[in-house]
Amino acid sequence: MKELKTNSSPFVNFNQKISFLFDGKKIFGFKGDTIASALLRNNINLVGRSFKYHRPRGIYTCGIEEPNALVQIISEYSEPNTRATIKKIYEGMEVESQNRWPSLDNDIGSINSLFSPLFSAGFYYKTFMGPHKSFWKKIYEPIIRRAAGLGKPPKEFKALSSHLHHNVDIVIVGAGLNGLLAAKSLINTNHDILLVDFDNHLGGIINNSAKILSIDNQSPKEWVKSTVEAIEKSKNIKILKNTLVTTYNYINHLIAVEDKHVGSRPSENKVNNILHKMRTNHVILCNGHIERFLSFQNNDLPGIMLASSFEKYICRYGTLPSKEPVIFSNNSNSNSLIYSIINQGYKPKAYIDSRSGENIEPELFDLIRKHDIPLYTNSQIKGVSGRKRIEKILIEDSTGGLSEIHSDFLCVSGGINPDVHLFTQSKGLLDWDEKDLTYKPSKPFQPTITLGSASGQFNLEKVSDEINEKLKIFKNKVLDTQIVLNTKESYQIEKLWEISPHKSSMWSKSFIDLQNDVTTKDIRQAISEGFDRIEHLKRYTTNSMGTDQGKISSINALGIVSDLLDKKVNEVGTTIYRPPYAPLSFAAIAGRNSYEFYDPERKSPIHQWHKDNGAIFEDVGQWKRPWYFPLNSSESMHDAVQRESKNVREFAGVLDGSTLGKIEIKGKDALSFMNLIYTNSFSKMKPGSARYALMLGEDGMVKDDGIISKISEEHFIATTTTGGAATVLGCMEEYAQTEWPNLNVYMNSITEQFATFNISGPKTREIMNKVFPEIDFSNDAFPFMTFQFHNYQGMQIRILRASFTGEMGYEIYIPSKNAAKIWDQLHSFGKDFGLIPYGTETMHLLRAEKGYIIIGQDTDGSITPIDLGLNWTIGKTKQDFLGKRSLTRTDTIRTDRKQLVGITPSNKEDHLTEGQHIILNQIIKTPTPMLGHITSSYQSPTLGHSFGLAVIKDGHSLIGTKAFASTPDQKTIPIEIVKPVFYDEENKRLVS
Amino acid sequence: MLIIECPYCGRRDQSEFSNGGEAHVKRPDGSSEISDREWSEYVFVRSNTKGIFYERWVHSHGCRKWFNCVRDTSTDEILKTYRIDDTRPKLKDFKNLVDTPSGEPELGSGNFTVKK
Repeated sequence: MKELKTNSSPFVNFNQKISFLFDGKKIFGFKGDTIASALLRNNINLVGRSFKYHRPRGIYTCGIEEPNALVQIISEYSEPNTRATIKKIYEGMEVESQNRWPSLDNDIGSINSLFSPLFSAGFYYKTFMGPHKSFWKKIYEPIIRRAAGLGKPPKEFKALSSHLHHNVDIVIVGAGLNGLLAAKSLINTNHDILLVDFDNHLGGIINNSAKILSIDNQSPKEWVKSTVEAIEKSKNIKILKNTLVTTYNYINHLIAVEDKHVGSRPSENKVNNILHKMRTNHVILCNGHIERFLSFQNNDLPGIMLASSFEKYICRYGTLPSKEPVIFSNNSNSNSLIYSIINQGYKPKAYIDSRSGENIEPELFDLIRKHDIPLYTNSQIKGVSGRKRIEKILIEDSTGGLSEIHSDFLCVSGGINPDVHLFTQSKGLLDWDEKDLTYKPSKPFQPTITLGSASGQFNLEKVSDEINEKLKIFKNKVLDTQIVLNTKESYQIEKLWEISPHKSSMWSKSFIDLQNDVTTKDIRQAISEGFDRIEHLKRYTTNSMGTDQGKISSINALGIVSDLLDKKVNEVGTTIYRPPYAPLSFAAIAGRNSYEFYDPERKSPIHQWHKDNGAIFEDVGQWKRPWYFPLNSSESMHDAVQRESKNVREFAGVLDGSTLGKIEIKGKDALSFMNLIYTNSFSKMKPGSARYALMLGEDGMVKDDGIISKISEEHFIATTTTGGAATVLGCMEEYAQTEWPNLNVYMNSITEQFATFNISGPKTREIMNKVFPEIDFSNDAFPFMTFQFHNYQGMQIRILRASFTGEMGYEIYIPSKNAAKIWDQLHSFGKDFGLIPYGTETMHLLRAEKGYIIIGQDTDGSITPIDLGLNWTIGKTKQDFLGKRSLTRTDTIRTDRKQLVGITPSNKEDHLTEGQHIILNQIIKTPTPMLGHITSSYQSPTLGHSFGLAVIKDGHSLIGTKAFASTPDQKTIPIEIVKPVFYDEENKRLVS
Repeated sequence: MLIIECPYCGRRDQSEFSNGGEAHVKRPDGSSEISDREWSEYVFVRSNTKGIFYERWVHSHGCRKWFNCVRDTSTDEILKTYRIDDTRPKLKDFKNLVDTPSGEPELGSGNFTVKK
């Protein structure tokens, strides 16, 4: 292990050794290490293979901007693409490198590098075109799918997450120097404040570099400690650590994700992630800056790292990735690194600066001379070479002379950018700063304040002035913070985006996007092919489309493009920064809305009875309904349904219809309202009677059906379909409030307050007489489509004589809490009469035999009541109802509309299938005109053959003719088109 | 996500509401004297305004009241909400933010970065 002269980092516990597995090999680090810092401690720099060319890749940064060091965490449900630079290690953690086979050292895919001249921009679009279109499905797609992506998706992801909502006055994003100072100045003001930082130790640049020597005459670390203590003690500021703000939406809505298991294994039964949803009045962005890299030949080799990241490894993690790195820079931000290395008792092997001597800070000159560091001014790195890490560096000095240094480590700095992602997500405008060569926030769209380097103010000594000025609106405490720096801070940079190689070949590469393997050559090619708009160029080359979103490279790409197009960078523009700032897991987004909480399950009041009696359930909307009741485990669904259907026709059956929507409508104008909502007229109906009714959309199409019971002129109860209940209530409320507010009418759902049992079959009356001996169920006392209220053991029940099976039957409405009692009574009395429970499938079969429609199965939003042959439901004399005028539109009065008919196979052994097309020709020649399709079909035990309902063009006039149903294997079944009623056409059984 | 002020309940999160399309569309009564054109205008045609738009919302996970709202569709800014029976606020009461040549406000409309 490489030890530092001073084990100075207070953030790593050097007394607590931790071991973890990297590609099966045991590695030791310390408590507080990230995977990357622990690997660097062990001199491991090769951590993955690149996306396209499978080139060896190392650790490039020390934070969230990492493009290369992505790993799969096997011990955490195999989470892929985790950044090794931020993921903290714990004992027993299992980590694997990605995109390599069979091993990281010997990766077969690296052969792609050989063919790399082929894989240029637009490779996919140009290559996978021929020779035959079947090549895509059979050859290209499987290969591409296997090769795509870096990590492997986890098979099962169980991490628990939850959501937390905040309503505050101010959110401060980032608790570095500026965030802490801003918070400090707002301590005990009247503002509710959240201070959010991604790290588990607040302080940002104070911890990550040696730049700041003292703050208010305190050592920086002491200052952070006392400031954080003061903030924690305050009444108005809450600190959220380990929390990354990923999204800045409209109306100051921020989304952040908190990692609750930093440095420990995720727990099976505790929340591991919290998604914070923040509402605030103001946002203060102090999220700092990101260093960018430079493009030169082989700038992706392991052993190359950003300069400030190298310094962060020293200061934050107490590890020195190399004792004598070469440093290459075009700006003053990397000066501090030289101090940091010298502080540790080492020195850089060479310092190369593209700036000319007079532009380099004199104090840096003095330091370099004093320590005898080889200095190259006005020089550039033309390229580096090496196999699995860099070995040689080729330098071009001011005179154009070339020299070569042997080194295994290179620190690069191409300048710094304010981290503008969140600012632009909030729709703020950026402006190009020609002096600092970067985009800086200019006009905020929302009440957003940017501070420090996030605002493009790179001078650390002036931070308190900026805070005093910008936070005045909050009446904050005026700061006068004295900051002493290790180097005279005035950011200075020289333009440099890309260095052309000394010798180039088809295989030479200067990368512009490390994660997606995009080279500067790809950029040139895209422009020469006409993709010169930055958004087009991004998509054509996939530049900055990786999970890192080109955090260290996208500005370089803009610089290169602006030079190529000879435009100003501001004219090139940026691509749009979209949330999230960094990937967050779906588990965090889903929160508790997963598994059984994903969608609520609704259950009938006698659900338990169904379960106890072996019901197989089907989902109808959110409801669990019994589908069929198999006698035993060997009875198939078909057999059960045939048996249940026969039993209902011969004896009796009862269906749990509790899931039907039930809406109660009351008010002086309830009658007028019902007349407007439904097609039927309820005016002449006697109280105590009921009617089958249709509800239309304004387009004239059938939306729902149900039975309307008229209790009085001012009181109705409507039933709806199980799935349509919420929509129907919503529609009634909408029209009552928006179109007819003058009507005095109120409505409410009573679906869950009442259970409904539909009992039917020839033995029904006998059973009802037993269960309710005091009620007269004779035809005269209780005619078809009437209802009565009765007292049953102290509770009011409503019995409606109606049927959905074609047999005589009743619907019993009981308060839910007492429902089980009556259900049990029905069965104990009904047993002797052959009563059985039946499920929805039998109900569907029986109603189809009778030609009763199911909304959503036999209708699809394009069927009018006339198409269904239900003209009798339409109140012809009514002035108005929903969709009335649409029934006489040119489209709805066409005669060749699809209309509901019945069909039977000519050959009774044939089986019809739902969805089969009805055609006129026996032999299918494509194209064959389609008349319509089968909407419902069943094998009827009563008829002894298959039958169906269908919607067919001009179907009503085709009744009595023959046609064909097509099958998927291009065969046809001869059918007869008949009336859509197969059983008891005269309704004798209904009214018996 | 938007914050919407329900005229009955106050400021609430958008997730409590459902959008109900354009507001102040008068429903002709369903009698056959209305021409096909007039009726189809009501049933099928809505304006797709970029800029200030009058629309309906319903507080579906709240008081279930319908109300009207004035929203700038290019920035999603909600300028006013009012009860269904309140008089329609005049267009000139609002500062029209859509005044750049492309119809985009300079700020907040999303594609400002490719403005040239």
